[in-house]
Amino acid sequence: MHEPRDSGELLKAAADDDQRAWDMLESRYGPRMWATARACGLSEADAADAVQGAWLRLLEHLHTIRDPSGIGAWLATTTRREAMLILRKERPGVPLPEIVPGDPDPAAAVLEADISRRLWNAVSGLHEPCRTLLRLVATDCGNRQVAGRLGVPVGSVGPTRSRCLERLRTLIHQQETVQ
Amino acid sequence: MINEEYFLAALRLAAGHDPLPEHVSAAARDAYGLRVPQAVTAVPAECPASREVRSADGCKMVRFVAAGLTFDLEVTVGDGLIDVAGQIVPHPGEGSHVDVRTPHLTLTRRLARTGHFAATGLPPGWLSVVCHRPGQPPVQTRWVRIRP
Repeated sequence: MHEPRDSGELLKAAADDDQRAWDMLESRYGPRMWATARACGLSEADAADAVQGAWLRLLEHLHTIRDPSGIGAWLATTTRREAMLILRKERPGVPLPEIVPGDPDPAAAVLEADISRRLWNAVSGLHEPCRTLLRLVATDCGNRQVAGRLGVPVGSVGPTRSRCLERLRTLIHQQETVQ
Repeated sequence: MINEEYFLAALRLAAGHDPLPEHVSAAARDAYGLRVPQAVTAVPAECPASREVRSADGCKMVRFVAAGLTFDLEVTVGDGLIDVAGQIVPHPGEGSHVDVRTPHLTLTRRLARTGHFAATGLPPGWLSVVCHRPGQPPVQTRWVRIRP
């Protein structure tokens, strides 16, 4: 039997009572949705709520998504919106992103698996201390631990990290221009 | 502008750190069982008395409307559990009932003549109410997050 692989096909199958199609959507987009919620600064418990909320919103719109092929972007944007709603309860004034089905959210798009892999590969092309620093922060080392490994003052880790991320952004941009 | 947190999240994603927890993945898959075929979705509306506000006693008022029905829900969070006191107006008809749902627990209640219903002891998190009407499509409120 033909296995639907395209996201649009999976969404249509899920809307047509196919639990396996739903599970495949979850496998495909769940990690990115989690990363989106965590990127908004949510704790694990709140991020779990944001991700669950986005899946429940999809249930509500299962038959009305205008562009099924854009379901990945829709889920990421919806996760971000739910995350912002949770944050707004704690910090009033946090702006909410508009949800436009099929219109990629630039922030969430960074979390596409391909882009993440390119970012990760690009880290290898950075000079020290950026290469080590970004590898350490990607593995959730705190500032004190990073400072210890790099032999620099704790207070310098934040500003150095910002500079390294800017260099990474420039490197990615240069690679895109060459391609 | 993409902020640093998104770049760091992308790096963590690629590095395999901060992976999606298994229980979050399982909850997402289980959510599929919560769909209500043919349901009309009731959307949030402004309450005249209080616009989705939480009062000092932890009570939150929310209103949803669709298909000519208005759902008024008074949600109280206490002792780590949720109590819901609701009313549907106008009464959706003889034989109607409601399901007060969370992802982990559904409580079914008959409606009083006034359209009132109540459910207690629900786990905090996502909540929705579905009104089943004989001979008509069910009406389901949007999911709303209720936390202390």
